[in-house]
Amino acid sequence: MASTDSKVKIPLHLIQARRMRHFYLLLMIFFMIVLILWVGIPILMTVMWSLVDPKNPWSYPNVFPPSFSLAQWKYVFDYTDIRRALRTSYSLAPLSVLLSLVLSLPTSYVLGRKKIPGKKLLMLVVLLPIIIPGMVVALSLSRVFYAFGLSQTFFGLVLAHTLMSIPYMIRVMTTSFQAIPQDVIDAAENLGANTFVKIRDIFLPMIRPGLLAGMIFAFTVSIEEFNLTFIIGTPTLMTIPTILYTFLGYNFIRTNASVVALLMMTPNIIMLFIAERFLKSDYLAASLGKM
Amino acid sequence: MKEKEISPIDILMLLSGVGFILLFIGFAIFLTLFQSFGLFSITRKSAFTLENWKAVLQAKEPMDSLFFSLKMGLLSSIGTVVVAFPIALFFRKGGTGKGILGSIIKVPLFIPALVAAFLILNLIAYHGLVNTTLMLLNLIHEPLRMLNDKFGWGVVFIQIWKNLPFVLLIVMASLAAIRDDTIDAAKNLGAGYWSVFFRMYVPLAMPGILVSMILMFIRAFGDFPITSVAGPIYPASMAVRMHIMATVFQEWDQAAVLGVIIIVTTFMVIWAYSRLAEFVKREV
Repeated sequence: MASTDSKVKIPLHLIQARRMRHFYLLLMIFFMIVLILWVGIPILMTVMWSLVDPKNPWSYPNVFPPSFSLAQWKYVFDYTDIRRALRTSYSLAPLSVLLSLVLSLPTSYVLGRKKIPGKKLLMLVVLLPIIIPGMVVALSLSRVFYAFGLSQTFFGLVLAHTLMSIPYMIRVMTTSFQAIPQDVIDAAENLGANTFVKIRDIFLPMIRPGLLAGMIFAFTVSIEEFNLTFIIGTPTLMTIPTILYTFLGYNFIRTNASVVALLMMTPNIIMLFIAERFLKSDYLAASLGKM
Repeated sequence: MKEKEISPIDILMLLSGVGFILLFIGFAIFLTLFQSFGLFSITRKSAFTLENWKAVLQAKEPMDSLFFSLKMGLLSSIGTVVVAFPIALFFRKGGTGKGILGSIIKVPLFIPALVAAFLILNLIAYHGLVNTTLMLLNLIHEPLRMLNDKFGWGVVFIQIWKNLPFVLLIVMASLAAIRDDTIDAAKNLGAGYWSVFFRMYVPLAMPGILVSMILMFIRAFGDFPITSVAGPIYPASMAVRMHIMATVFQEWDQAAVLGVIIIVTTFMVIWAYSRLAEFVKREV
């Protein structure tokens, strides 16, 4: 029997297939390493820059800093406006998320559930704030805001951030409203559900994931909004991005900028990993995959 | 009892979101447009004039900026899609470790543009990691100038790094819609790797590729923070020039002209995209 014969020849195509598999595995491992380095190295470098010891500066021939200390962190917190900027940023974001939620819920309901003429155009209009470059919007809005006494005010910034986050919110929630099967609503109506019951028992539970996704996008948009804040808020109100910009501009201080950069991105990345757990489908692709 | 008919309440509900956007964006667009023709001017008397357009169109700098921004938009959109597409294909086939890898690759999506610029700037600076490594390996004898370089490669690289996950998500969604049967059929009929790639995956994922390219182009074309941090000293990008024009030179009307040029270019690109998308759909 061939199977008991230890000297049986393995056919060449099987060997080739096995080699191919090994080669594919190697390729995959290589690819994974590249991906991890691609994202990891820039972040790691910034972490190192934020820990540079002022007594032993990190300069050209050294690949790694000679010693680490928390002096840069202490400096940034003690001598710059970062505390105020953090407070402004993190009180702006929830308020603008709330406002864009309130404004976009009814709109997304109509866009997602009703037959309305010119829906395609409206979906494009909704995208306008992210289509028109931020600096153009910011410079022209600064005049409007000034005329209404909104420039350099907290409420003005809330409005500006809402404007930038509302496109994501409406797009994401429209897709979730669209996904509700009409049968479920009809069945509820046949069983005598009124509007309140329908909202509580059908709409809210079914759009909850989309609602959360939209809120997360809106929150990150507000945290990273730069153009409008820079034009409308500076210098009275500094957020983390505008403070980072000052560290990258006239007085470029790499170590301070590293600290601010880390402060700005860490909460976002944590949020990403939390969001990954409960957001099963990709709302961003679903909502922006079509224009 | 079907809730399909449109009522006045629906229009009111629609207005809460769309109205908010139209109010601000409409104001912004009309003000920019009028101001470019000298109406509602802040610095001068409000009167219709073509002087601002003449001044901008005849000067060399704004045109250089326009070409630079177009170049950045084009290179960033093509570059990101070219990098993202093979990765999206890799993620299409399931496997071990894909979940965590998928999360890691998405990290730049949640890193603000300005922070992304700074992260990459650390690497490509004159004495940054890339130059130091290349010097240690004796590949180069003098550090390369990658930051604030004349061409703008630094900007393109930052755009690709920052927007890769965004494009990846959209392309992956369109790749996921391709049925495995179709690919298997092509392979059975004798299609090799390359022809499966170029004649199956690429055309079938075209809608996703197009929309991500267009969104990337718009982002890179109108970008302010990344070019102002990592871009060349001359020419400035359109958004940077507009900002300088308005706040440094106090030429708000000429800045408005630049704004109109930016808006018109953006809309033209979107129009071209929608035509292209229709063309692609018609053929398939």
